[in-house]
Amino acid sequence: MNEEYKNKVNKKYEKNLQKGERFWPDSIYKDLLISFAIFILLIGLASFVGVHPEPKVDPTDATYVPRPEWYFLFLFEFLKYFPGELEWVGATVIPGILVAALLLLPFYDKNPYRFYTKRTFALGLMSFIVGGMVTLTIKAATVITGPMALALFALVWGTLFFALHKRPEQKTATRKSLLWLATIGIFAIIGTAYVQTAALAGDEEEAVVANTIAEKMALGQDLYSLQCVECHGADGEGGTITVTAADGTEELLPVKAINTKDEMYTRNDETLYNIIAYGQPSLGMTPFGGAYGGELSTSEIEYIVTYLRYTWDDRAEVPADAVSSSIPALAEGEVPSYEVHISAVTKRYCVSCHREGKENNNYIMDNYEDLLNGGDNAPNIVAGDMNSILLQVIQGNEVNGQTGLIHVMPPSGKPLKDEYIDMFIRWVEAGMPNTAADAAALSTAAPAE
Amino acid sequence: MWKNIYDWLDERLGLQSLYENLLDRPEPHGTWWNTLGSASLFLFVMQALTGIFLTVYYTPSPDHAYDSIQYIMNGVAFGWLIRGMHHWGATLMVLVVFIHMLRVFFSASYKYPRELTWMVGVMLFLLTLGMGFTGYLLPFNQRSYWATVVGTNIAGVVPGVGPFILKALRGGTDVSALTLSRFFSAHIWMLPAALAGLIGAHLYLIMRHGESAYPDADD
Amino acid sequence: MASSNRISRRNFVALMSAALGSIMGVVMGIPIVGYLIDPALKTESGEAWIPIGLLEDFPIGTPKSFSFTRSHVNGWEKTVNSYGGFVVRKSETQLLVLSSRCTHLSCSVNWEEARNEYVCPCHNAQFSMEGEVLGGPPPYPLDRYEANVEDGTIMIRFPAVRFDEVEG
Repeated sequence: MNEEYKNKVNKKYEKNLQKGERFWPDSIYKDLLISFAIFILLIGLASFVGVHPEPKVDPTDATYVPRPEWYFLFLFEFLKYFPGELEWVGATVIPGILVAALLLLPFYDKNPYRFYTKRTFALGLMSFIVGGMVTLTIKAATVITGPMALALFALVWGTLFFALHKRPEQKTATRKSLLWLATIGIFAIIGTAYVQTAALAGDEEEAVVANTIAEKMALGQDLYSLQCVECHGADGEGGTITVTAADGTEELLPVKAINTKDEMYTRNDETLYNIIAYGQPSLGMTPFGGAYGGELSTSEIEYIVTYLRYTWDDRAEVPADAVSSSIPALAEGEVPSYEVHISAVTKRYCVSCHREGKENNNYIMDNYEDLLNGGDNAPNIVAGDMNSILLQVIQGNEVNGQTGLIHVMPPSGKPLKDEYIDMFIRWVEAGMPNTAADAAALSTAAPAE
Repeated sequence: MWKNIYDWLDERLGLQSLYENLLDRPEPHGTWWNTLGSASLFLFVMQALTGIFLTVYYTPSPDHAYDSIQYIMNGVAFGWLIRGMHHWGATLMVLVVFIHMLRVFFSASYKYPRELTWMVGVMLFLLTLGMGFTGYLLPFNQRSYWATVVGTNIAGVVPGVGPFILKALRGGTDVSALTLSRFFSAHIWMLPAALAGLIGAHLYLIMRHGESAYPDADD
Repeated sequence: MASSNRISRRNFVALMSAALGSIMGVVMGIPIVGYLIDPALKTESGEAWIPIGLLEDFPIGTPKSFSFTRSHVNGWEKTVNSYGGFVVRKSETQLLVLSSRCTHLSCSVNWEEARNEYVCPCHNAQFSMEGEVLGGPPPYPLDRYEANVEDGTIMIRFPAVRFDEVEG
């Protein structure tokens, strides 16, 4: 770089200043407006999009698919193209070279020209790299496949190039409209890909995240009903379990009540958590934590602990918004529906045993269809029939079925609350409606009879 | 009276010359693309502000980080707003700084006499990415934990020094309380201090050389 | 160049920056103040009836201490606090439940049988059996718990209230 070149640059800049503007007030209003627009955008995003809730960290959950923040996605995707032993090249050498190239750009870019038509190589290379990054990001973040993304980007960048490549016969207006077209194209592609991906992601099952103590209690109750009721009873009253020893002999073990003051005062949350996670094998309790062969994640165990603590510990201040019962009460003359009432009762008291993989005469109670028609003794419940097996056993009467004697349910010997038995009876009487709408139609029709 | 106060302050602070030198400067005609630099600065200030207020409740420990964030989101008035703005501000800042860099590249503004401005700018961009990476771990949820496991693993694949870098980044072999507290320290002290210093240098260089002019066909 | 035009433009930009700045200041400022003082605005409920023991276990004529614990969620952390008090039965029908927290600086007072008064170990304050201040720095008598007897068990209403706020 010689003095002559420097002089030329400086002179040109002086000239530009002469016919230019002043920072205040000529150009600062643009900065102000843009900053204000960003401010509004931030408030809008925080208010209407928010931050996606994520479950608590669980280092034992090996099934979790990690995703980096979106602006590192391209690097994440890029690494897929490197075989194991060369991964370090893609992970460190190439990004390192790119960073160094970016940092030292003014030193090796000796091209004295500044106008874009005279810098085709530099601009082309940069466009290629940026295009590649955007393509990789979109490929990693959306359902678009590699070739599709490449083709689309070739199209967009082609249009851009065609627009920017200065030819004398091309009008400025044409160029501008082409530029706009390319920009809209880019946004359209990103937008469509994003919408498609969001639609796909919506189908996937997501972990439920509880935010408040009340929500944790509600989720904890559901989990307790499913996982714990079988041995500990619906209200932690205990019971007996059959344990099969290593030599095949069966042994009846008592399960002590866990809803007592003794239990609650002498075990803190961490102890309760550990008991659920590791189990107490010598007492017949299997581990429930995902890391030890159980079905529960760390958050789920924590929800159960919260439920136990706030339900049975009389020292705890139950939050005002906590729902004391997940089962809605039935009004006078109201017909219960499966959807609203019966499923809530079965979920709380029955499904712990009456689900896949348990000993239950193949009677699965977690959906309407199986509840009505499933099981070895099917049908266990018949519309209008007060002698239905299910109604009999929950009212304390044993029944002779195809599989032999059917015991009283629940098997702990502690019967369901009268209002829930009444709920079942009224439901069977009314013809076992599935949805709330069906039940409502029946309750309005009832007085006419 | 205002006049007297102003005169007193002006005499000591030199407000008039500040105004003349910093604000009432001549510059070449700019376009809307020239606002991206000040937009980056604005976002940095917003991130600093919301970040400072997040530390009022946030606790950088594996036992508390997640719960404290949940408390910010659900237990504190406007906590969701502060966290939401910090979260989205990070995304916007990476985007705006990157586009700002591309603008400078395409208008060849990095050439003489603004080479140093460019280099400082590239460092600012890298620091912004560093802020994104360290900040991502802080909520200590599934996503952030596993992203950090993978992100630090990438540094660990370098032959020879890889395992050493990995342990230095994580503060041990696992992503643990040590990782969280060093990421927190980097996120709220080291990187912001470096960013603030370099932003000062960047602004000084811009004042010194003036805003660049868009090249025309003669350049 | 028309100089007046320039100046008005300058003023306009200055006005606009001031306006936009104030809008941002207010839009950010109010939430931030709310965010910072929020814990001070939360109302502590925590009201509960707590059983402290059988009535027959508490003697007539001399105060007997009792204690219980309550857990309280501060933010996301659960704190278990212990509370103590005295049951004073002057006759078969009269029942007075006092908090053992000294009204001066919340130290725990002890019943001194020989002196027939409660003594605070921190600043040697003295209270009578009914909680009246006999000497020392406390500004007012010991706090009281509203109490009931249900099926022979004494139930007290948590938290304790100032002596002059007890109903009846």
